Amino acid sequence: MSALLHAKDLVVAYETGRGRVQALDSLNLTVEPGETLAIVGESGSGKSTLGLAVGRLLPAVALKESGSLTLQGQEVFAAAPDALRRLRRDLLGFVFQNPMSALDPTMRVGRQVSRAAGGCGTAEMQALLVKAGLDEPERVAASYPHELSGGMAQRVVIAMAIARGPALLIADEPTASLDVSIRARVMKTLLDLQKDAGASLIVLTHDLHLAARSCQRLAVMYGGRVVEVGRSATVLSRPAHPYTRGLLAAAAGNEAPGEDLKPIPGLPPLLRQRAPDCSFAPRCPFAEARCTDLRPEARELDRREVVCHLAERVLVEASR
Amino acid sequence: MSATPVISLQQASLTYRKRGFSGGTLTAVKSVDLEIAAGETLGLVGESGSGKSSLGKLCLGLAKPSEGNVAFQGAPFPGRKALLGKLSVVLQHPEWALNPRLRCGPSVAEPLEIAKWGDAVKRSARVAELMGQVGLDPSFAERYPGELSGGQRQRVAIARALATQPEFVLFDEAVSALDVSVQAQILNLIRSLQAEQGFAALFISHDLAATRYLCNRIAVMYKGEIVEQADARRFYGQPDHPYSRALLAAIS
Amino acid sequence: MVAALTSLWRRDRLSALAFAILALLVFLGVFGPWLPLGDATQVAAGPRLSPPTWAFPMGTDELGRSFLPRVVEGIRYTFLLATVAVIITAILGTLLGMLAATVGGFLDMVVARVADVLFAFPALLAGLLVAAVVGPGAASVITVICIATLPLFMRVVRSASLSLAERGFVIAAQVAGATTWRVILRHILPNVMSVAIIQITYALSIAMIIESALSFLGLGAQPPRASLGSLLQVSSVYLTIAPWLVGFAGLTLSLAIVCVNLLGDSLRDAVEPLPGRTLT
Repeated sequence: MSALLHAKDLVVAYETGRGRVQALDSLNLTVEPGETLAIVGESGSGKSTLGLAVGRLLPAVALKESGSLTLQGQEVFAAAPDALRRLRRDLLGFVFQNPMSALDPTMRVGRQVSRAAGGCGTAEMQALLVKAGLDEPERVAASYPHELSGGMAQRVVIAMAIARGPALLIADEPTASLDVSIRARVMKTLLDLQKDAGASLIVLTHDLHLAARSCQRLAVMYGGRVVEVGRSATVLSRPAHPYTRGLLAAAAGNEAPGEDLKPIPGLPPLLRQRAPDCSFAPRCPFAEARCTDLRPEARELDRREVVCHLAERVLVEASR
Repeated sequence: MSATPVISLQQASLTYRKRGFSGGTLTAVKSVDLEIAAGETLGLVGESGSGKSSLGKLCLGLAKPSEGNVAFQGAPFPGRKALLGKLSVVLQHPEWALNPRLRCGPSVAEPLEIAKWGDAVKRSARVAELMGQVGLDPSFAERYPGELSGGQRQRVAIARALATQPEFVLFDEAVSALDVSVQAQILNLIRSLQAEQGFAALFISHDLAATRYLCNRIAVMYKGEIVEQADARRFYGQPDHPYSRALLAAIS
Repeated sequence: MVAALTSLWRRDRLSALAFAILALLVFLGVFGPWLPLGDATQVAAGPRLSPPTWAFPMGTDELGRSFLPRVVEGIRYTFLLATVAVIITAILGTLLGMLAATVGGFLDMVVARVADVLFAFPALLAGLLVAAVVGPGAASVITVICIATLPLFMRVVRSASLSLAERGFVIAAQVAGATTWRVILRHILPNVMSVAIIQITYALSIAMIIESALSFLGLGAQPPRASLGSLLQVSSVYLTIAPWLVGFAGLTLSLAIVCVNLLGDSLRDAVEPLPGRTLT
């Protein structure tokens, strides 16, 4: 089967008041139909830019400079307005971090959901709400968004995102704004619906635990590139990129009581142009001369793809 | 060091009157008992809206309890003058932590200035010393916040909070907006500074992982009440309250 | 300054043009009396209601006075009143807005309600009332402009200050024991300055409209003083026989107001660029 989403050497830059900032630096990524992929990265890594680029929802100051991004074989950035609308409507579903800003505060929920489903009837609309885990569809449908809790509102947003049976769901920090006690359940609903619909799911998050628990594949982004991608369990149990390894050591939650966290020194980079070297090198404990001389390219290693000259050494360290 | 806790709350409640047509009252904090000793960090976790920040306001004397007592060093909160330099706070949003129109030096020096500590020369020497303590080059005093990253701004905010060597520091979601790799830098910084200076601290967060790493004790807040209060190590194992367990499940 | 202007010209021609026109008008207004434009007060300097000629570039009015120096005199008076009034309201409104937001409680409620009431109060009605009490002239024009533009500042500055009051640096200063005045002068004022300056431009254009309207009604500038509004009123009588008079007076007034507004827009764009979508 051919890939659902395919990004090849994608370069996106922002024109800001302080000059050009390169958000995606020749990014390569493939999403197969039906799979779940978590994209993990810190702010500035380019993950949100990637998520928006898929629907060509980037702000006006962002420019796709080169490369290609295809969805079911269609070039997203070459689509005519009509084709783009069809593509967004029929192939994509979005779930954003804050459900309240995704819903129209002046319209009853039921009407919004049936509109999202293409003007379906009440029964179908309520069925969608039930599918999204809302037990009292009549009451929810008659409510305005502000009358719902955050978790319920996010379930409504999920119902709207799957209403037309999209091929790809993109969820940007879907549970970050929700209370911890309901996060797991909302995430499970999202995954169940994705599986039912046979859609692919991309979860953009900074939360490694969430990524590992919910998605089969994991892509780690740094400096506008995917620096490591493979099965979640493989990548997190034996990271081959020093940044993945650093993230795991820095994140509170994995440490034993009394054990120190090991922060990654320094700051994430702000790219002005295509990185001529490894952009993680200044913060990398493994770095040597070639890391600052030569731009690493993606290569296969130990059942994952990694962008690092020294991945073998990192792997050896990890197994010790 | 005396055995008197720096901050203590006895059966403290905080009730807000609701605005608008519906009226009524909202009890943000319900009968809370809490003590924070010198050199101790108490973690306060709970969802947003559980009353954590209101409890923080009580501890800083920014709000008066509608019932019960809040005491500072064993006595009711004294006036503004008597408290100068004894309390400070580090808040969530690094982009809002510092006045964008002021260079970092004057921002850090402000609590000293308010407390009428030393003269301008002594204060700028103290600023340089503080910058060093939070791991920044003294030249940062000359920079504007706009030139700094989130982590650097939070370091400057911590320098400002510690300028007067306060007795009590409130950290309200102080690392929540930071990236994972930078978060650990700041957590370690807070830990080492506290070991050095021995202030009492309240660390408010919705993130149990960061809280249990940093704190000696953790209080779990749910709907305005403290539902569990225990040694931080307990939160690496099996806490008692179902809500505490939900918090724990979310990070493992 | 020159570099800033050239870069503005390159970015945004319209704003640069507006700025240049405004600068010219201000220059005329300030230095008009010392410029070789003719005497504004000399009656029968030429024929009555003459069309524009080389000697009288804007023609002459009903008393044979050269109209060009009259218009310059009008610019001077209109701009002066508008500026004085707006300076007063800008200071007063900004101060009240900051105080309301920082102190809160009763004061905040009073300021918010006063702003609402003033906002709803028709400026012309206020003008008639004030002129009836104070008598027509500069004082009543300034009072009316203040009434009309005060809520602009109170509202915008109050809401900007309210959001500042929740920021970390303000709370940190309060916890450190800073007084209200310290918080206002050091932390709030420098950060609401930009919104206040943008409001100043809008207030200026409103002020000019109000001044002209009141003078048109005879409540503002009293003869022989001329303002753009009073010139408009006098020349409107001769609209059918000397239409250029209304044309020149009206054009100058419109140009001034449009340029002030354009300048305000470009200032606002410079201070708060269109955010686009926020990135997380």
